[in-house]
Amino acid sequence: MFKEYFAIAFRSVVAHKIRALLTTLGVVIGVASVILLMSLGNSARTEAANQIRSIGSNLIYVSISDRQGALPATWLSEIQEKAQISAFSEMVSGTASYQVDGSNVDVSISGVNQYYGFVSNLSMTHGRFLNEFDVDNNLPAVVLGSKIPDLLFPNQGVLGNTLYIKGMPFTVVGIVEERGTNFSGDNDMMIYIPIDYTRTMFPMGGRFKTFYITAESEENIDLTMSRVTSYLSNYLPSSNQYRIFSQSQILGVLDTLMALLTTLLSGIASISLIVGGIGIMNIMLVTVRERTREIGIRKALGARRQQILVQFLIEAVIITTLGGIIGLTVSYIGAQIITSITDFNVVLGWDAVLLSLVFSITIGVIFGIYPAMQASKLEPVEALRFE
Amino acid sequence: MINIQEVTKRYEMGSNIVMALDGITLDIHEGEFVAIVGPSGSGKSTLMNIIGCLDIVTSGTYVLNQIPIQEYDQDELADIRNQQIGFIFQQFNLLPSFTAIENVMMPMTYAKVAKKQRELKAAQLLQTVGLGDRMDHKPTELSGGQQQRVSIARALANDPAIILADEPTGALDSKTGKEVLTLLKTLNSNGKTVIVITHDQEVARFANRVITLKDGRVASDLAKEEVYV
Ligand SMILES: Nc1ncnc2c1ncn2[C@@H]1O[C@H](COP(=O)(O)OP(=O)(O)O)[C@@H](O)[C@H]1O
Ligand SMILES: [Mg+2]
Repeated sequence: MFKEYFAIAFRSVVAHKIRALLTTLGVVIGVASVILLMSLGNSARTEAANQIRSIGSNLIYVSISDRQGALPATWLSEIQEKAQISAFSEMVSGTASYQVDGSNVDVSISGVNQYYGFVSNLSMTHGRFLNEFDVDNNLPAVVLGSKIPDLLFPNQGVLGNTLYIKGMPFTVVGIVEERGTNFSGDNDMMIYIPIDYTRTMFPMGGRFKTFYITAESEENIDLTMSRVTSYLSNYLPSSNQYRIFSQSQILGVLDTLMALLTTLLSGIASISLIVGGIGIMNIMLVTVRERTREIGIRKALGARRQQILVQFLIEAVIITTLGGIIGLTVSYIGAQIITSITDFNVVLGWDAVLLSLVFSITIGVIFGIYPAMQASKLEPVEALRFE
Repeated sequence: MINIQEVTKRYEMGSNIVMALDGITLDIHEGEFVAIVGPSGSGKSTLMNIIGCLDIVTSGTYVLNQIPIQEYDQDELADIRNQQIGFIFQQFNLLPSFTAIENVMMPMTYAKVAKKQRELKAAQLLQTVGLGDRMDHKPTELSGGQQQRVSIARALANDPAIILADEPTGALDSKTGKEVLTLLKTLNSNGKTVIVITHDQEVARFANRVITLKDGRVASDLAKEEVYV
């Protein structure tokens, strides 16, 4: 019997197609904005995850506050084998300012050892990373982030050129591939020099010592973390003195945050869905009024109240579903446009398709029920008299 | 078959009270062709709405085929209209966006007749009223007489025992009006009970019995022979 109801309703929608199309507008806008925002959010999440993953998912950060110097300077070498650490580097950082075209540009300076390039998964576009020889002999060698050459050496050869850092000349030995911005700042505005230089350049260094560690494998990352933790707890009495977290933990937190943001934004966008729904209700009420005579005729011919109700309800749902499909198409086009003009790769998944259908059907039912009830309650004689 | 006892119908519009029907008693038997005549405002349409179960009485009783109508609810009345009564209106009351055959199929849809059967029956009925070649036309593409014939086909869709026609020729010229009445006459000869409401004495000539209403009461109720002596 549902097929019959559907056929009647479908026939009526087709009979009033222009109105139906106009009615869908609210739902089109609502569905398109929700789907687009959600997909945008999800794409941003994927983007962030990829970026972090590109740094290396075996990566562990350790940050230590040790004023008394309780921890041996060689602590990482001591546990390297037992904790299944493949490589590590301490990092001492600071900033230096350069004048570029009359304005100040801050550059982050990271003092690291020769393993940092591996630990942080850096790829080089030119030259090489700092090597053992540079670090052991404390040579004035510098590796530049990808934005630095254009900024500080416009129209010049960079490799082999000299960069002054805090008044000291350094020879450029390599340039890192573009990495983008993440929670540790703009990676492309960083330069890397042997760590002993930064120890003297930035003697205050900050309260915390930072270490970058790569576990031997992603599966054993928990083992590595627990071994490091138990080692640190032997030397540092308070657990406030050290923090240890992995790349994947950061990824998790970031992902949760972005998911929350996406939900929030989509939630705001879904207000437009409700507005669209109210529009549907209005137009359905007008429709019911305009078609009072039709309702009277149908009742005279034997339509029960429920049959009229279901007819108008299905009409509303057909219209909103149509709106959902159009909205989905619009958001698909929107996604294509955003993908082509920005760095975002916005993808509409099956979940978007499903969701827009669920949204539009729900809106149709919720906002179609009242007009449909009005239609079903009309008295046949009164309705027939309607001009 | 139709048994009306002391029926009144009262309309209240603010302080204005209209007794559209003011104590009507009459019986109509199976196979009759009854004309209900009377001046405008005499209560003819109101009476038809009550006979057709579109409206309910204010007081009195209406029994249709042993069914006491006032004890039934809206949905049960819808079923009775669907099964037992075929309506023909002055303004045809076809749905404008549907084709002739779709209009004729409608009562069968509400009777839950299967689609194939509906189409077959509707096509047959349109054939009978002489519109076999106009089945897929919309009402606006048909003349008044043709539209009224579509609505007659629709009235016959579920094989009702009673055909109720309120001013069926009111919107037609006299020639097509006559054709429509002839069609109703044929239905009557085939066993349908036909009740025609009209203010036109000419139309009443087709009937076997003429009931005249005045101010919501039966002024006269005569067999044809008595009317035209
Ligand atoms: N819904 C209504 N509300 C108020 N008065 C009505 C209504 N329907 C009919 N009437 C009144 O009842 C009387 C009979 O009307 P009706 O049955 O339509 O007469 P007829 O069909 O004989 O012209 C008229 O006075 C009319 O104004
Ligand atoms: Mg009338």
